[in-house]
Amino acid sequence: MKTMRWLIKRELWEHQGMLLRAPLVIAALMTLFVGAMLLSGHDMALSINGQQATLSEAINGAYLSGALEPQRKADMLRMIASGYMAASAPLFLMLGFLVFFYCLGALHDERRDRSVLFWKSLPVSDASTVLSKAIVALVVAPVIALALGTLMSLLLLLMLCSTLAFKGLNLFPALLATPELYLTPLRIAALLPVYALWALPTVGWLLMVSIWARSKVFLWAVGAPLLTGAFALWASRAYELGWNSGWFMQAIVARVLLGTAPGSWLLFDQQQRAQLLDDASQRIDLPGIFAHSWAMTGSSALWLGVAAGCAMILVAIRLRRWQEDI
Amino acid sequence: MSAVISARGLRKRYGKQAAIDDISFEVAPGRIVGLVGPNGSGKTTTLKALLGLTRCEGSLSVLGMDPRLERDALMQQVCFIADVAILPRWLTVGDAIDFLAGVHPRFERAKAERYLTNSKLVPSMKVKAMSKGMVVQLHLALVMAIDAKLLVLDEPTLGLDILYRKQFYQHLLEDYFDQDKTIIITTHQIEEVEHILTDLLFIRAGKIILSASMEDVDRRYTEVMVAPEWQAQAEALHPISTRSVFGKSVMLFDGVPREQLSPFGEVRTPSVADLFVATMKGGNP
Repeated sequence: MKTMRWLIKRELWEHQGMLLRAPLVIAALMTLFVGAMLLSGHDMALSINGQQATLSEAINGAYLSGALEPQRKADMLRMIASGYMAASAPLFLMLGFLVFFYCLGALHDERRDRSVLFWKSLPVSDASTVLSKAIVALVVAPVIALALGTLMSLLLLLMLCSTLAFKGLNLFPALLATPELYLTPLRIAALLPVYALWALPTVGWLLMVSIWARSKVFLWAVGAPLLTGAFALWASRAYELGWNSGWFMQAIVARVLLGTAPGSWLLFDQQQRAQLLDDASQRIDLPGIFAHSWAMTGSSALWLGVAAGCAMILVAIRLRRWQEDI
Repeated sequence: MSAVISARGLRKRYGKQAAIDDISFEVAPGRIVGLVGPNGSGKTTTLKALLGLTRCEGSLSVLGMDPRLERDALMQQVCFIADVAILPRWLTVGDAIDFLAGVHPRFERAKAERYLTNSKLVPSMKVKAMSKGMVVQLHLALVMAIDAKLLVLDEPTLGLDILYRKQFYQHLLEDYFDQDKTIIITTHQIEEVEHILTDLLFIRAGKIILSASMEDVDRRYTEVMVAPEWQAQAEALHPISTRSVFGKSVMLFDGVPREQLSPFGEVRTPSVADLFVATMKGGNP
């Protein structure tokens, strides 16, 4: 347990730039941008119950009618309280790429710079080493992204509401009394286990390629599944084998390559996808996403992926035992 | 106390090429063994086998454990420097000490810090900012702070200047080595280690061709600077090598008593380097 803690710390030392600094910079830039927009008086486009409006129109509307209608005000509050975390979407998008490239290099870089010989001179088993890297990819990196995303979103919300307050519309008391405000980060945090389970096959595959490939890791990791998919498609067409190559692309190739993108599980089920697209035309339906996501844990697709991911991590552990430096 | 290392019939091939071919040897505790051989003779493969880093055939026991099966337990007692400058570039001195203190039960932080006090290394320094000599200093400080029973050093001073090399072996001998520890060293700079070695293992083309303690070497081998008039008689005793220095022949004898050789000329114990060159040339010692 103590060893694992140090191994995870070690990963954070090595990948500080990737796991901590990069998201921090993105969050800081977004905060600065939004701050500049607010200060320069740029209008923010809002969509309240499907009605398009700008922020100042909403406020002016409130002024003209003397006070904001209670119904509109409640709608606006709910929209803000459940939607403010959408500001952290760029961080989560980046998380997908970070985890992907982190895993790709995790067991390869140490062999390339030969430092694996130093790590192997210590009483740390291959299993602990590989597991520490999987834990960083599946748990630590998403937690960092979520923490930063929540902080940044709250900061942006604070900035927005302060601006509104200056213009005479004080939303703070009402907003702070809205339970949605507190539930939203918790709802997203509750999706972390779904993320970890769904990303497991991708992480397992990348770790396995990372230890197994002697060079051109990216090409192997991405090229091998894509080529297999293309081959299946061609073979099935050319020889009329009737293989379901579309299923292969979606159930194997896409899951092996795209699993680290947060929310990719929502695109997996076709029925869900259609439903979500419907919803998307209106507004972000976080409770809906939450329910859909946890419903995935009842699907065999998810658990088959988890089993495959664990198997690939085991293979990576076995390979690291005898793999020599390159 | 039983042998620290006991290898019997070790074999390892890369494709059709045998890297080590039926190697057997034993190392007792409290020895400093020099594993000496030309490039590609199988030194590194032998060490990798001892450390459980490579698969091999044959029976092998290190500190009573099989490195192929019990590597995780073995690494508590064994430490190695596989090559110079292999510490990860992003590591800082302070993090390295923290990490080792965290994961190694036999690491003593105070010792490592003491070894570093006289160096230019400070805790915030990163490996990528260090010279090769400083990286080795750091690595040695880390390794010497580990109370390991067996220390394996594979070309630990390659590419370092003479000051660092001298310092390295001096530290190793004065601050680290004691009766309970065993050290195995491979190096090309034999002259620099021969005075600290207690045992020699010569390896050529994957085979051990000499395994002897330094006392044995003193007893067995004699180098004679033969005066020209004794040339024929000396050659009759089958020297294992003859070279000529300033017109005189220098002959190396194996197992010929010194009394018998002293009339021929000046008699002395050969240096390990000369012995190495002589045995590598093809004679069977």
